[in-house]
Amino acid sequence: MVSTEHYLFLAALIFCVGMFGVMVRRNALVVFMCIELMLNASNLTFLAFARQRGDSMGHVSAFFVIAVAAAEAAIGLAILIAVYRSRGTLNIQDIRTMKH
Amino acid sequence: MSFLQTHLVNLVVFAPLVFAVIIAALPPSEKQQIRVATLLGMTLTLVLALWLYLGFEPGGPEFQFEYRAPWIPSLGISFHTGVDGLAASLILLTGLLGPLAVLASWSFIEERVKEFHLALLVLQMAMVGTFASLDLILFYVFWEAMLIPMYFIIGIWGSEERVMAAVKFFLFTLVGSLLMLLAILAIYFITQPAGARSFDHAQIYNSLLSATREVSACARTGALCPNLSPLAQSLWTYGPWMFLAFALAFAVKVPMFPVHTWLPDAHVQAPAAGSIILAGVMLKMGTFGFWRYAIPLFPVAVRDLRPALAALAIIGIDYGALMCLAQRDVKRLIAYSSVSHLGFCMLGMLAITEEGAAGSAYQMLNHGISTGALFLLFGMLYERRHVRLIAEYGGIAKVMPVFSALFLIITFSSIAVPGTNGFVGEFLVLLGTFRSALPLAFGVLAALAVILSPAYMLWMVQRVFFGQLQGENHRLRDLGFREIATALPLVALAILMGVMPQPFLSRLAPSVKLFVARASLGSSGEHSKLGDLEMKVLELPAQTGIGLRREGPKPGQPAQTGGPVRLARSGAAENPSIPPPNPPELRR
Amino acid sequence: MVFSECIRHAPLLECLQKSPVDAQSMAQMAWLIIALPLAGAFICGVFGRMLGRANTNLIACAAVAGSFVFCVLAFWAVNDRATTLISPFSRDPIRYALGHDFGTWFAAGSFRVNFGLAVDHLSAVMIMVVTGVGLLIHVYSTSYMAHDEGYWRFFAYLNLFIAMMLTLVLADSLPLLFVGWEGVGLCSYLLIGFWYEDAAKAWAGRKAFIVNRIGDFGFLIGMFLLTLWVSAFQAQTDNATGQGRALEQWRAGVSEQGPLNLRGLEQVALRIAPSFAPMAGAVSLQTPIQSGPLEGNTFGQVLVAVLLLFMLGAAGKSAQLPLYIWLPDAMVGPTPVSALIHAATMVTAGVYLFCRIGSLLVLAPAAMAVIALVGAATALLAALIAFAQNDIKKVLAYSTVSQLGFMFMALGLGVYWAAIFHLVTHAFFKACLFLGAGSVMHGNADETDIRRLGGLRKEMPWTAATFLIASIAISGFILPLSGFFSKDAILHGVHSSQLAGYEWVSSAVWIGGLLTAFCTAFYIGRLYLLVFEGKRSPDAPVAHAHESDWPMIMPLAALAALSVVALIYGLPIIDVGDGRQTLIENYLSTVFNLPHQLARIHRTVSVEQEGLFGAWALAWVIALAGGGFACVLYLWYLPSRRGAPLPAPIRTLARWAANGFYLDQVYDFGIVRPIKFISFVLYKVIDSLLIDTLLVRGTAWITARVASAIRLLQTGDAQSYAAVMALAVLCAAGYAVIQVLK
Repeated sequence: MVSTEHYLFLAALIFCVGMFGVMVRRNALVVFMCIELMLNASNLTFLAFARQRGDSMGHVSAFFVIAVAAAEAAIGLAILIAVYRSRGTLNIQDIRTMKH
Repeated sequence: MSFLQTHLVNLVVFAPLVFAVIIAALPPSEKQQIRVATLLGMTLTLVLALWLYLGFEPGGPEFQFEYRAPWIPSLGISFHTGVDGLAASLILLTGLLGPLAVLASWSFIEERVKEFHLALLVLQMAMVGTFASLDLILFYVFWEAMLIPMYFIIGIWGSEERVMAAVKFFLFTLVGSLLMLLAILAIYFITQPAGARSFDHAQIYNSLLSATREVSACARTGALCPNLSPLAQSLWTYGPWMFLAFALAFAVKVPMFPVHTWLPDAHVQAPAAGSIILAGVMLKMGTFGFWRYAIPLFPVAVRDLRPALAALAIIGIDYGALMCLAQRDVKRLIAYSSVSHLGFCMLGMLAITEEGAAGSAYQMLNHGISTGALFLLFGMLYERRHVRLIAEYGGIAKVMPVFSALFLIITFSSIAVPGTNGFVGEFLVLLGTFRSALPLAFGVLAALAVILSPAYMLWMVQRVFFGQLQGENHRLRDLGFREIATALPLVALAILMGVMPQPFLSRLAPSVKLFVARASLGSSGEHSKLGDLEMKVLELPAQTGIGLRREGPKPGQPAQTGGPVRLARSGAAENPSIPPPNPPELRR
Repeated sequence: MVFSECIRHAPLLECLQKSPVDAQSMAQMAWLIIALPLAGAFICGVFGRMLGRANTNLIACAAVAGSFVFCVLAFWAVNDRATTLISPFSRDPIRYALGHDFGTWFAAGSFRVNFGLAVDHLSAVMIMVVTGVGLLIHVYSTSYMAHDEGYWRFFAYLNLFIAMMLTLVLADSLPLLFVGWEGVGLCSYLLIGFWYEDAAKAWAGRKAFIVNRIGDFGFLIGMFLLTLWVSAFQAQTDNATGQGRALEQWRAGVSEQGPLNLRGLEQVALRIAPSFAPMAGAVSLQTPIQSGPLEGNTFGQVLVAVLLLFMLGAAGKSAQLPLYIWLPDAMVGPTPVSALIHAATMVTAGVYLFCRIGSLLVLAPAAMAVIALVGAATALLAALIAFAQNDIKKVLAYSTVSQLGFMFMALGLGVYWAAIFHLVTHAFFKACLFLGAGSVMHGNADETDIRRLGGLRKEMPWTAATFLIASIAISGFILPLSGFFSKDAILHGVHSSQLAGYEWVSSAVWIGGLLTAFCTAFYIGRLYLLVFEGKRSPDAPVAHAHESDWPMIMPLAALAALSVVALIYGLPIIDVGDGRQTLIENYLSTVFNLPHQLARIHRTVSVEQEGLFGAWALAWVIALAGGGFACVLYLWYLPSRRGAPLPAPIRTLARWAANGFYLDQVYDFGIVRPIKFISFVLYKVIDSLLIDTLLVRGTAWITARVASAIRLLQTGDAQSYAAVMALAVLCAAGYAVIQVLK
């Protein structure tokens, strides 16, 4: 059997990649994809622990996360399209209207 | 007891608000209608305040015309109003200055007339409410409520640098008030056990009484006292801090040195009506706060800090007077003279003798009348020439003899010439200071004001009224009928209160006695019985109806166990199916 | 028994003793004495312009005349043998006095002041002088101010002044006396600065008021210390001594009338035991005060302090050293004002005060010594300054200061009746001199420089005659008129009295008095000779002076006559067993017997009656010498040297004297300028710079700068926000892990 630690390690890796992408990448779509990566990493963690414990609480949580991720992706992409329409760019560094 | 009897104080407080609502409905272009309506409202408030004053019995209970209704029972806040001698006198003063402020602005304010008069009315309500409230949160609400209309009055209808002055006034006063709020909350939590907490002033005071006595006995021995009750322990540790917080808030308002610098700017920039109300009433809030809240609640802290506070008061007296000698602006000079006069009020209170306290209370009234009149009269002059510098005037007595005569009489009141009201107040304050435990030097230094005040006032009078008539002043016309009618009541009162002060003093006397007895708890507490010092007020009423007066708590049981909400037997009788709420749970 | 009943069965002369109004009613009507001039002031002030000049004159004079009538009635009532006043402080009735309590003025704590008026022989003399001379001056003013536009103001202020002075004299407690005291100061301010369009004149009024206030500062503190003193006395006297019931009565009186009632203070003076014969439980002057703010000091020490503070007040009001500087400058006011206020009435308030508290004064020989020395020094200094003044009113002003010094000399040595006698005669002749000066000014286009006048005797005969009579009265030159007797009474009394512990004071003061008498004769002679004798000066403003009209001449004549007639009161014609008393000494003995008795009991003042005629002779010779010197100098020596300058040292001395020995400048540089400088420094440095700019605006500035710095955190970059959040979560997670692992 593949032990839980391996899954956790993989999930942590994916999470870090995703977090790195959120903080560094300039394109907003890529940032969204990285957010999805982070969410999926957490999903993986949940499933790993569900398998370890043997009950289905983890699966239920994973379903919640998937649903939330889907909703967030839908709204987020809609906002992104609106931003692109008004700003003409998806480069996050160029959208700084909340600057002091 | 008729409706009027029970609700008289509430009527005095809220009548201006009612008229404010009426004026809000008037169209803004009907300036004269607005003015007349405001004048009616203010006059009605004056009549009611006079009724209140005349109906106050010096021989009766401490707080009269009380009204109490539940407001926020879960926090122990009730709508509790009532007056004692000093509050009734100050409410009368407020009522008197209200119509005069409106008349002073009759021809002066021409823009946004509606908003101006709304501000005046709301301010009137807030000021009367501050004097009349017997609940700490209610007091705080009205106290803060005073700031906003005054801020607008100075900031919109003032002179060149009005915004700076308004912001300075607002922030300065607010900082002090916030500290006071902290102190109020602290005292709320400390003095009463968890189930029985209330913001009612009397309840808090009565709970503190025996603890104060313990701490006072302890402080006099000077040793560490291990056997204090828990309340006395917290009072011992936190009392001075709470007192300082209260004192700072009130000291800014008085204003005492060194937190006085907002006053000259505020006065110089404010319009005439603003100055009249500010000097006439709002400055008394500070001294009233000391009288009613800061000093009686913490007599031990007062005893320790008394020399320092008295020194600050005397610095205020002499420093304020010396400041006046260096001024070139009339309103700034009068503002600094206010600092000097109110130093007398503070000194009289800090002397903690009957003569001193009576003089201080009387001086509060005197200052309202004489400085209010000074600003009123100068406002009339400013309306004609729109300059405040002394150098711009000169020799005015030739073209404005009536104005000069009235101004001179008020000047004499301000410098305490016997026969005017200022003399009685200053005499009693100085006598009280000499009689007190403060060193004799304090009294001598305070008496220096007798020499300094004519120095600056007569110097100003000389430069403005006497000498050669020069320049623009040729065109000045003397006072009209309306202006004389506005100024005459104050001038007449200045002389009347100087020749017949006894009716006023007799209404203040019981309040004075209680103040001195409570304040001396910090130094010589053995003399008075605790039962004499307790505040006896109305109980909170049941769910329905107005509370009936009951005897106060018996001596030896300082903590109120009754609590703000009595177990509603009547409520249970009405609704037998609903179990009565469990009081401790409600309050959590 | 009243006059109307008496006249039915006894001869007129006997019945003149009985007053037409009985004492009780008179006491209750006493308020009218003050109310009439007060009403006159109000009517003239408010309605004067509407009523017109003639009506205003009439109302003002009528008000004072009415008050005078009531004063005469009061005087008459108080002379009645049957008039007694039951004082609330003792069981004994006070003879030849009446009084009434009109209610409480104000009360707080244990302090109380009532509106109480009292008349006794001393007040009766004073009120007669005040209203009598006041009436004459009102009549004079109707002509003097005939061309002035502000006549309604003038008469309003003048009436108000009379009312205030009467309040001062009739008051039966110190605070009420203080009302009159400050009131006359107020009226003095208004009247000196009457012609306010001249800034210098208005300034003189302000100077007078402020210098008076310095004195009032002393008076107030004296009153407060006295209140504490009386309370300490109340606390420490033991009822167990033989005076028990009397003390009970006194305590009852204090709670009813207040601690500063004059009769009450007399009682305290009576109850103090002599230091050398202490009684158990009684308080003597050496007893230390045991509690209260005055703890540790003895009663005697505090009493001396109180009296010295009252002396400061009197120095301000009565223009003694060091506060006399306002009086010469006050001469810029209208001349009737100078005559009334600064010669006859207001400046005598200090003398009256000390006579009223005479019982307390004799208990403190230290204070008496100081008062006498101050009086003597002032008298001499002022007389020397008067030598070199060229303004006719300034000479008279300094003369007033000098004569007041005489009165204080008498007070300081316990010869109260002589001080009052001199007060009365001084009122007559000094008012006559001032009014005469006014007449001279009126007839010479307001010229006051005496070097520009001269030879007016033929052109203004009435003025010259009355001026001459008054000058002779003040100096005693050739003819001993009233002033001679009063001044000599002072000198004789001073020489005969000795203060315990300060025996040298008596001789020092006496010698100073003799020198001053010499100087007085000289400068008055100089004044008369330069103005009225000799040839008309070539610099005269008008070619011919015209005599003034009857409203101005009549008061002059009346006052001159009074200056002569009053000498009767100084003749020692009353036999009192062990010697002879003058009329006025006998009259005032009803008031001053008590202080003299106390002085004997406490052995503070000892009197040895010496040769009276020798003293008279000496005084007459001195007056003759002074006047003779003036005559020689100004009638023969100086005219014969016309054109040649005086020797240099004399010119320097004259210049020093003319500038008042530069005392004014000393005050200006020593006090006034430093205060203005301090005030300026305090305003600019502490208030504007330190508090307002540094602390208040500084706080605001710091808040603004900190806010500016912190807002740089808001970069608007969402990713940096995310980075910060991630960092924070990492730290929190790390912390949690570490906590778990512990």
